[in-house]
Amino acid sequence: MTPEEKQRLLELIANPPPGSKLAAAKEYGVDLSLIVENLELSVGERLRRGSEAARSLKALKGIARQSQAEK
Amino acid sequence: MNFEAIIAILARAGVEFVVIGGVAMLVHGVARVTQDLHICYARSAENIKRLAETLAPYHPSLRGAPEGLPFCFDEETIGHGLNFTLVTDLGDLDLLGEVAGIGSYPAVHVFSQEVEQPAGVKWRLLTVEGLIRTKRAAGRKKDLDVIPDLEAVQDMRSGNEDSRRSGKL
Repeated sequence: MTPEEKQRLLELIANPPPGSKLAAAKEYGVDLSLIVENLELSVGERLRRGSEAARSLKALKGIARQSQAEK
Repeated sequence: MNFEAIIAILARAGVEFVVIGGVAMLVHGVARVTQDLHICYARSAENIKRLAETLAPYHPSLRGAPEGLPFCFDEETIGHGLNFTLVTDLGDLDLLGEVAGIGSYPAVHVFSQEVEQPAGVKWRLLTVEGLIRTKRAAGRKKDLDVIPDLEAVQDMRSGNEDSRRSGKL
């Protein structure tokens, strides 16, 4: 994403057109800045971040299961 | 878990597949965590053979199956089944022969776009429009919950003419 494209997106999410799906998503509570942050990454970087998050979630679930079993 | 590695291995082997589900959403920029990779695969005999041979070195087994349950992931097993939830050495992998809201591989292919990564790895990704269809069709709360995220990505793309024109993700 070029700096100009990012700037345009940041302006768009700051003031989404009334009645647009972007406005509805913002109203619903979607963190639009996180989407812009992800769009700045390459596809490979998105996949690597996603893999790391999946590994962390799996580890947390393991800890939670172990803690439940010990109770 | 290594989404990138599984995708690259399948793509390099020439397996016909489309990345769908949570990993497709994250590639489109949606900020959600997913634990497994879902792909829709072509059900041709040649592709089934290629899929079985490509995954064999990564010891696929059925996820959640009782320990000791005999399972052989080969052409015959895939041919007799449709959807498989697997554990592999590279992470959890779900193989779908059909996708709710769209259909089997040829229809899913229509709703897909090519992704090209460095080193010439090319693979196909379900489009945002396709993802919205599948999420609506699934209809569970967790599926409907992500539709605003996907619609936001759609709006951002159409609002960013340069990205839209170049087909960039």
